[in-house]
Amino acid sequence: MYQRSVAIVGAAHSQLGEVPGSTAIGLMADASVAAVADAGLTPASIDGVIVRGPDDEYCFQQQVGERLGLNAAFSTSLGNGGASQALAVVLASLAIEAGLATTVLCGYARNSWSRTRRSGSRKARMNQSTHNRTREWRDSFGYFGEPATHALGAQRHMAMYGTTKEQLGHVAVSVREHATRNPHAQMQSPLTMEEYLDGPLVAEPFGIYDCSLRTDGAGAVVVTETARAKDLPHPPVVVRGFGSHNNLRGWTIDDHMVQTAARASGERAYRIADVSPSDIDTAQLYDCFTYMVLAQLEDYGFCEKGEGGELVASGALGLDGAIPTNTSGGQLSEGHVEGMLQVVEAVRQLRHEYPAERQVPDARLALVSGHGGNTVCHTTLILEGG
Amino acid sequence: MSGPTQGATTEADHPLRVVPQPTPESQPFWDACARHELVIQRCRSCGRFWFPPSNHCQHCWSEDFAWEPVSGRGELYTFTVYRRAYAPELAEQLPYVVGVVELEQGPRLITNIVDREPGDVRVGMPVEVVFLDFPAGVTLHAFRPRENSRTPSTRAV
Ligand SMILES: [Zn+2]
Repeated sequence: MYQRSVAIVGAAHSQLGEVPGSTAIGLMADASVAAVADAGLTPASIDGVIVRGPDDEYCFQQQVGERLGLNAAFSTSLGNGGASQALAVVLASLAIEAGLATTVLCGYARNSWSRTRRSGSRKARMNQSTHNRTREWRDSFGYFGEPATHALGAQRHMAMYGTTKEQLGHVAVSVREHATRNPHAQMQSPLTMEEYLDGPLVAEPFGIYDCSLRTDGAGAVVVTETARAKDLPHPPVVVRGFGSHNNLRGWTIDDHMVQTAARASGERAYRIADVSPSDIDTAQLYDCFTYMVLAQLEDYGFCEKGEGGELVASGALGLDGAIPTNTSGGQLSEGHVEGMLQVVEAVRQLRHEYPAERQVPDARLALVSGHGGNTVCHTTLILEGG
Repeated sequence: MSGPTQGATTEADHPLRVVPQPTPESQPFWDACARHELVIQRCRSCGRFWFPPSNHCQHCWSEDFAWEPVSGRGELYTFTVYRRAYAPELAEQLPYVVGVVELEQGPRLITNIVDREPGDVRVGMPVEVVFLDFPAGVTLHAFRPRENSRTPSTRAV
């Protein structure tokens, strides 16, 4: 049984957005150095490395160790897509409690903006990256890109529960409002509902404002025993609980599109953390697309299944709302670093680092989610401030 | 064109997007498509169907299965309308509909919805299989609204 003896003591991200010529490992090094400095630690104290880089880079943790001069008692690269980054914190916590490591660097880096520029057209990328099974059962029917996958879920949800395009728009507009107060965000100008509804369509019901950004960037956190944190500069953010669930049979199977893996992952996390949805002060959710925020709010029990549209339309995601969500602007407006920035933002909110205009008042418990791997893998963290 | 509206057994008038590359496990499915027949694997041990093709029953792990012709009838579980082209050669096909069809036998197929304006496609719509023959010598399945009977020559098996 997890003893809740582990905390996040350092958190940072690299430059975000369009970083011409950047490499994933370079961004990873920037974020890692900053996170260790934020923790008030030295490289010698790091004995664990759990990271993920671009999916076509083999054993990314070796690049990190080589670049930063680290050997590690415990180390791996993860393959759960966007669920990996929160999962890194889970594995670090388990490794530390088991005595396999004492202080673990967790991180993720991508250079998707620069990479796209380098490799040329979308077609080139499409042909490079396509797996045979995907090619056979998806590409043949003109089914390309992640927007369509999540649009299939949104469309089903709309048909089952009457969810509307405008309700999806409230997610985009709310997180953009958060981003206007974040000087690191890629999108800092406000988004009106009218602009959202007029946005060019991509894969219905999604338009461009339903889709997350293309980002060069990295994030990293340092995880260690809470007992070690008393000599460190920041109050520890305790890893109070966590969960995961993986609908490995696929997105189109059963009711996975409308009741996502977040449901079972969240139930485990609430049980291990011994808290309930009403205890959560802020949610930092994996927002690859607007619909995924709405679905997760339901799956995490912030409202009943089918009521997510009404919840987001009520202003719930705002700083003074029922569940302030993605308070940095998220992947829709801050930058898409596959869930890593959600962890960083939760730490900063729980430390009460921000000026009042950006701070969730009285934030003590944060829920963080990671979702990915063809939208079937899910991880939940419940973090607790001092 | 404003949407794929090919007749069932006519030569499709748009270029094939990507030619499927069958594996030994999926070859019987594509061979049947070429005959305008929809076949799905069915377990001889537990009687259940599965898709996409593989050599073990997903339900009981038996390796004893048959390729069974199915009705080709089902319901549209969900869909999306493509408004943006992911490759230059797809641009002239916009908008087109990618759907997930739940067959009467249970499995869900990713496919295209044809013979209906994208704006009139609905979740839950009854659909039936049609086959699109491409000049490249490849045949793909698609589905159309079931009440539509404009092309009675269709072999919806
Ligand atoms: Zn069986």
